[in-house]
Amino acid sequence: MSAAALAGRGGPAVAVGRRGFDRALLLAIPATLFMVLLFVYPFLYGLWLSFAPAKGGALANYRTFFTTPDLWPTIGITLKLALPATLINVGIALPIAFRMRVRGRWQRVVTTLLVVPITLGTVLIAEGMLNYFGPKGWLSHTLQLLHLYDGPIRLTHNYWGVLISLVISGFPFAFLLILSYVTGIDPVLARAAATLGAGTFAQFRHIYLPLLAPGLAMCFCLAFVQAFSVFPSAVLVGAPAGPTRVISIAAYQAAFEQYDYSLASAIAMIMGFVQLVIVAAVLGLRGLFYRGPVAGGKG
Amino acid sequence: MRHDFRELKLERVTRSFAAAGGHAFNALDELTMTIRRGEFVALLGPSGCGKSTALNCIAGLLALSGGAISLDEQRIDTLPPEKRGFGMVFQNYALFPHMTVERNVGFGLRMRGMSAAEIAPRVARALSLVQLSGQAGKLPGQLSGGQQQRVAIARAIVIEPPLVLMDEPLSNLDAKLRIETRAEIRRIHGELGRATIYVTHDQDEALSLADRIVVMKDGVVQQIDSPQRIYAQPANLHVAHFMGYRNVLEFEVTAVNAERVELSGGAVRIVGTLCQPLDGRRAVVAIRPEEIVVGTRDGGANSVRGSVTGVEYGGRDSLIEVLLDGGLRLLARSDVPAERGDAITLSIPPERALVYPA
Ligand SMILES: Nc1ncnc2c1ncn2[C@@H]1O[C@H](COP(=O)(O)OP(=O)(O)OP(=O)(O)O)[C@@H](O)[C@H]1O
Ligand SMILES: [Mg+2]
Repeated sequence: MSAAALAGRGGPAVAVGRRGFDRALLLAIPATLFMVLLFVYPFLYGLWLSFAPAKGGALANYRTFFTTPDLWPTIGITLKLALPATLINVGIALPIAFRMRVRGRWQRVVTTLLVVPITLGTVLIAEGMLNYFGPKGWLSHTLQLLHLYDGPIRLTHNYWGVLISLVISGFPFAFLLILSYVTGIDPVLARAAATLGAGTFAQFRHIYLPLLAPGLAMCFCLAFVQAFSVFPSAVLVGAPAGPTRVISIAAYQAAFEQYDYSLASAIAMIMGFVQLVIVAAVLGLRGLFYRGPVAGGKG
Repeated sequence: MRHDFRELKLERVTRSFAAAGGHAFNALDELTMTIRRGEFVALLGPSGCGKSTALNCIAGLLALSGGAISLDEQRIDTLPPEKRGFGMVFQNYALFPHMTVERNVGFGLRMRGMSAAEIAPRVARALSLVQLSGQAGKLPGQLSGGQQQRVAIARAIVIEPPLVLMDEPLSNLDAKLRIETRAEIRRIHGELGRATIYVTHDQDEALSLADRIVVMKDGVVQQIDSPQRIYAQPANLHVAHFMGYRNVLEFEVTAVNAERVELSGGAVRIVGTLCQPLDGRRAVVAIRPEEIVVGTRDGGANSVRGSVTGVEYGGRDSLIEVLLDGGLRLLARSDVPAERGDAITLSIPPERALVYPA
């Protein structure tokens, strides 16, 4: 029994019955205003701006984007970074979170370790990567000293640099989110499965995975949106002129190098649309799974 | 995983938990017993006495802090639950919320690699045993508490395990369904022909179902015996109290004559039967209300007089509270109507007044 359920019985529900209006909704006004001012207004303004280019018709910007050879491929380049990074993050975080599902010393140690990259931010991570993975970095030094590999190591200023950076900055987020979903599942369900003959993997496959699926979809969406708007690492550890010229770089250049805010808005709109398509697809898949309480019975 | 066995041996099985102060306490303290094939054993005791702990230790869901469990001379206490293969009905059901009733019940069979064609008829039969045939397609969240409980029973027995462990499986059923399901559980037990360990805090359930009853208190076994002996010869005062000996009176011992003990307190003198060696001048007598004979005339040797101070109507008979002449109070069952203020004589059969050390 949660506080919300108790409140629902006593307070607001009564108000609804009496007046047909839930006064608790008033509490949402500040947040709604905030959303309108900070999100809806800029969005609508940008949308209008993208259809009002300096020259040409209303669709000129969109035509430009999809016909210019250094603009339209940015969608593919960004997806090629964001989708694998998200899959890696969610895919690795899931089994580790499952292993850590029992609260204990390890859970605390790992959680603490993983919070650190979140607080670092992408710029510090990029700097660390340049020191560590760069051509003169510790990694190549160590490998050369141990005579394991003498060739040049190219993990920065290219696709891999950005991908690694996205994994480092995105993994803790995915892990912590999934861990909270995993620990929310009543462990007695797995124990019941065990008495029915399910080993650890079968417990994961038949109990945890289906119950986690909606949460995983949500986590995927959040991690994807985060990775899709990659900017600092694409510049700092990537090759922003070519292989990691992601869509946000294109928008940045349009706005602050060519001072074409209208085109920049159009690029931002396209970026948002691509994200929306992916998120909608993933959340649509979520509907195929069970959603509801994840406890095993009374209590 | 075994499908049959001769005996399951528990030797000094102990499980401790960390208590608030940092030190450990034993939720289960040196449980020793042997369960033979075909036996129905009930674990009986008040809430928090360690019944679920004992069951979880046997199922493999809790590691032991000490002792050993062996199945036919083979140690199993380090095996994980899925290797032991005992069926378990959990106290809070633990149904899989994302699977239909049918899939919940069929889960154990799927884990054993059976084909869908083999599984379907078995699941259907298990569901009809617990009278849930019409609910196969529902999710657990769409069932009532009692229905969920019956799904949990069906899920545990459909795999025909060598040992079925049930943790208060009837606690959420109404009185009628409880008695029906009780009979069903006993019948299923006979049909499977293996063994059942059944946890309950309801003495009627334990008495009616079990071949042997284990009475526990604070993690310690008080008595392991047949229902008849548990009912008639409680090993100590705790067991007596738990088994419905509601009159517990403290007296002075005046004479001990082998089994016969003479006691007195105030104006009352009674003779009782010794059940446990006395360790002093004082003793406690435990008497079941229904074993006191209520009359109006003087009942002879072991009888006391008093007046009725309370009547609790109970259908076939009533529970009456009697204030004895010496100031003591006794509860008795009477099938003749009594009213407050009636003068009454109570006769206590000496062999049914059980004497324990105070
Ligand atoms: N995980 C745990 N940690 C600490 N103490 C525990 C834990 N599990 C059980 N206990 C304690 O062990 C004792 C026995 O618990 P158990 O669940 O076996 O009782 P029970 O006999 O099944 O009671 P009930 O009839 O209420 O279900 C209780 O005092 C309980 O508080
Ligand atoms: Mg219990």
